[in-house]
Amino acid sequence: MIKSLLNAVLKFINYWIYRYLLVTELYMTEPWERVTIHVFLFLIFLVQFAFNYSVLLPFTARLFNFQIVT
Amino acid sequence: MTVIKSKNNKNTGEKVGEKINGFHKNGFVNHKLVSVDETCIDKNGSIESNQDINNQYKRDENFKESFEQPTLITACLTYLGFYLLMIIGYINQLFFVPKVATEKNRDDYVPLFAAFESFYLRYVYRRVKDCWNRPICSCPADTVTLKDRVTKDYGWTFEFTGTETKCLNLGSYNYLGFAQNKGPCADDAIESIHKYGIATYSPRRELGTNALHTELEKLTAEFLGVEDAIVFGMGFATNALNLPSLLSPGCLVISDEKNHASIILGLRLSGATIKVYKHNNTHHLEKVIQQAIVNGQPNGKPWKKILIILEGVFSMEGSIVKLPEIIEIKKKYGAFIYLDEAHSIGATGNHGRGVCDFYGINPKDVDILMGTFTKSFGSAGGYIGGSKSLISFLRANSHAHCYASSMAPAVTQQILTSMKIIMGLDGTNEGKKRIDQLARNTRYFRKRLAQIGVITYGHEDSPVVPMLVYLFSKIGAVVRTLTKRQIAVVGAGFPATPIMEGRIRFCLSAAHTKEQLDYALQVIDEIGDSLGLKYSRKPRDLNQIEY
Repeated sequence: MIKSLLNAVLKFINYWIYRYLLVTELYMTEPWERVTIHVFLFLIFLVQFAFNYSVLLPFTARLFNFQIVT
Repeated sequence: MTVIKSKNNKNTGEKVGEKINGFHKNGFVNHKLVSVDETCIDKNGSIESNQDINNQYKRDENFKESFEQPTLITACLTYLGFYLLMIIGYINQLFFVPKVATEKNRDDYVPLFAAFESFYLRYVYRRVKDCWNRPICSCPADTVTLKDRVTKDYGWTFEFTGTETKCLNLGSYNYLGFAQNKGPCADDAIESIHKYGIATYSPRRELGTNALHTELEKLTAEFLGVEDAIVFGMGFATNALNLPSLLSPGCLVISDEKNHASIILGLRLSGATIKVYKHNNTHHLEKVIQQAIVNGQPNGKPWKKILIILEGVFSMEGSIVKLPEIIEIKKKYGAFIYLDEAHSIGATGNHGRGVCDFYGINPKDVDILMGTFTKSFGSAGGYIGGSKSLISFLRANSHAHCYASSMAPAVTQQILTSMKIIMGLDGTNEGKKRIDQLARNTRYFRKRLAQIGVITYGHEDSPVVPMLVYLFSKIGAVVRTLTKRQIAVVGAGFPATPIMEGRIRFCLSAAHTKEQLDYALQVIDEIGDSLGLKYSRKPRDLNQIEY
């Protein structure tokens, strides 16, 4: 049962990785190019995460008079 | 009762783009916007009477075309993907210069390759190059056998594996199914080789005219319903070499945006002034003609002649030209029409006589009827049909008639036999059966594709069905996956189409049976799910579609 669950999860992940490769047109690139673009997109994601955490979250919290307590 | 033109269509509940004065913005063109006894306030606030709106739209009701636009997310992701591909290409070019990019012994010379074209060729087209130029090794009838190739260095070189794949053929222009190597056409062609030889070895005006050519010209004129016709050995050359004979500097040509490369080549060669109007848009055409007539030539004189160049069925869009309206415009302004029926002859119309038959127009209203024998007749070559004076002029002045080698006897005989079958002159109703089969296949296939939910362009009666996939990688993925499932299709990207509208083009045929089409549609449905091709936002008909 666990094996079938694992297979289902793997199938799901593989399907969406395939769709991601198609949409970003990485489907037709060579492996080293793919790794480069994966790193590049991950860096952009990190920058976006950092921006949201440091700038956007306090700003929107202030708008609603909502103090973030850590 | 006055109403403001509403954005929501009364008859269908979906989002429809605004249609103001014939131009449609986002959304598909729907024509039932205004009911009979209302007057409307249009965008600028002036009140238009309904009568002329109705006249404008009444004929549009008959045009069942759709050019649906994708969602904003799809468009954005397409652009983003393309930019990523360009970035990768530039990095690749920076670090690994390919052997073809370095030119030896060319100091002080202009570079051999144009920059963007060679970049595109090497870093976008090359990656999916295995989907094009695929060699075949059988007659391309309803099934075709492809030779398999593999590439070990990402598209620079190919090797044959030695195996072959038999596929359902949805890529050949075989509209009436005459691409057969057995049957009456083939037998007659073989007999003509015994009688006349393999080729004619001469242009028409020297020793290259034989009885078959004269018979074919008479038969073509009878088929089209015009006074006379002239045939040439090559379809592309018919356009490219006859337009320079008909036009000269001082003439005005108004050509459709999406005309074929042969027409554009012929027009550039002729030296006439070219103006382009938006695809199939009669309002813009009328505006362009009005402006041109008012302004005249740049040196102030009136134009020598005005020629409007159209295609019957556009091969990349699948749309059918709005011929009745354009003929009205032509009569109003005194212009001439040149109709290129390469894809529509034999494939449209109740009797297979082309777009004029489709609309029920007298073919003598169209001044120059041009077409090719490559698609529906299963042969090669082109023709021009029109009045006797036009054809006599072309016989004297056409480059293709004077200098190009004439049509080979077997090719001519193939056209003669297939044309006689289509017209019913051989005594059977084989021709009518084929035309009906094609029409039935077309309707069924298009309706089923709309039900599946993919975006297709064009008129619902045109046998050319382009399915939009937008991204290059999807073109490559679809062609490769379909070949693995034994269906052979043609993918089209830039520069044949706009850069963001990659498409897969299905060419239906009278030779396809319902079972073959059902198999293809089932595979397309599965691929649509696994590759994400179901972009359409129109409501889907959930009933079973009858054949």
